[in-house]
Amino acid sequence: MREAYAAHSGELYGFAMRSLGDSGLAEEAVQETFVRAWRAGDRFDPQIGSLRTWLFAILRNVVIDLGRARAARPGVAEGGIEPSVEPLEEALLAWQVEEAMRRIGEDHRRVLFETHYRGRPYAEVAAELGVPEGTVKSRVYYGLRALRVVLEEMGYEG
Amino acid sequence: MKAERCREWRLSLGAYALGNLPAEERAGLEAHLNGCPDCRAEAESLGAVAQLLPLADPDRFSHPAPQPSPELGKRIAATIGGERRVGRRRRRWQFGLALSGAAAAAAAVLAIVVPPGGGGGNPEQRVAFASLPAGIKIDATLEPHAYGTQIRMYVSGIRSGTLCRGSGPRRHLSLPLGRRLHRSAELGARPLPHQGDRRSRRQPNLRRPRP
Repeated sequence: MREAYAAHSGELYGFAMRSLGDSGLAEEAVQETFVRAWRAGDRFDPQIGSLRTWLFAILRNVVIDLGRARAARPGVAEGGIEPSVEPLEEALLAWQVEEAMRRIGEDHRRVLFETHYRGRPYAEVAAELGVPEGTVKSRVYYGLRALRVVLEEMGYEG
Repeated sequence: MKAERCREWRLSLGAYALGNLPAEERAGLEAHLNGCPDCRAEAESLGAVAQLLPLADPDRFSHPAPQPSPELGKRIAATIGGERRVGRRRRRWQFGLALSGAAAAAAAVLAIVVPPGGGGGNPEQRVAFASLPAGIKIDATLEPHAYGTQIRMYVSGIRSGTLCRGSGPRRHLSLPLGRRLHRSAELGARPLPHQGDRRSRRQPNLRRPRP
């Protein structure tokens, strides 16, 4: 369990933070995830999937539970409306893409950020970076390839 | 030789996937893609990655990933250590609940102590618990209403399938805790929440709650 914590707690916390938006709740979610994993340890089968995938599946349920608890708390007798599961799937994908963006090289991230997220022309970005425009173009290509590799490592299947 | 020719086109595939290729370059590339299955497959694969980019928030990935506090690992180890001890004690609590042959559920008996004179102008009162199994945390409040007293409990640390029974001085309630971590129940005019719950009907009677 100690090894599992060392290997996966950062990522689990990152996603919990991304979907719960509160560091205290996110830590509670990570704690609950490891406690549930410990209790159900005999049900983990490495033949079915990785430990990481299993922990994320548990965390996903914990986040749903915490979301419901939070939705129910401020209301009165009737309780809150249960949050739909769909935004959580989207949050998981969004978090994966953000995490993948963090893991690719700075050069690649930079050109993707400038050209795609800020929508700047390639020539302008090239001038700012002091490189030929063709270099920006090839960095965009290699950047997308790097993203694909990282996403696949994280379990994304095209 | 073919690979050499593809290389030039390949470098444009990123801009193509993101829709940033000028029209004339795009026309040339698409002509190549029509005749080159390898490059076409690469273009489709990068196109799928490009479609994910709008999901990401650049403000988030521009900053380092948030990290949990260094104490979290120790807290988890302490909780699990506490459960190990409870696991030994739990055997004494088990009533042979054989739930579909799976792991038997443990029953936690929670005695809820309602402070005397509840309600006197105080809109909400916190509930104290006389005894709680290790690892279980309950945040509970009582609110007086015209129809009775509402008790809101936020319970964490209970494993799925556990049946909890609480008792007050005048009434007691049973609430099966399923996959959710919380359940709010009301003491008063409403029917107890476990009535009509198919699963709880199959539960054997548990030992009487402590007075």
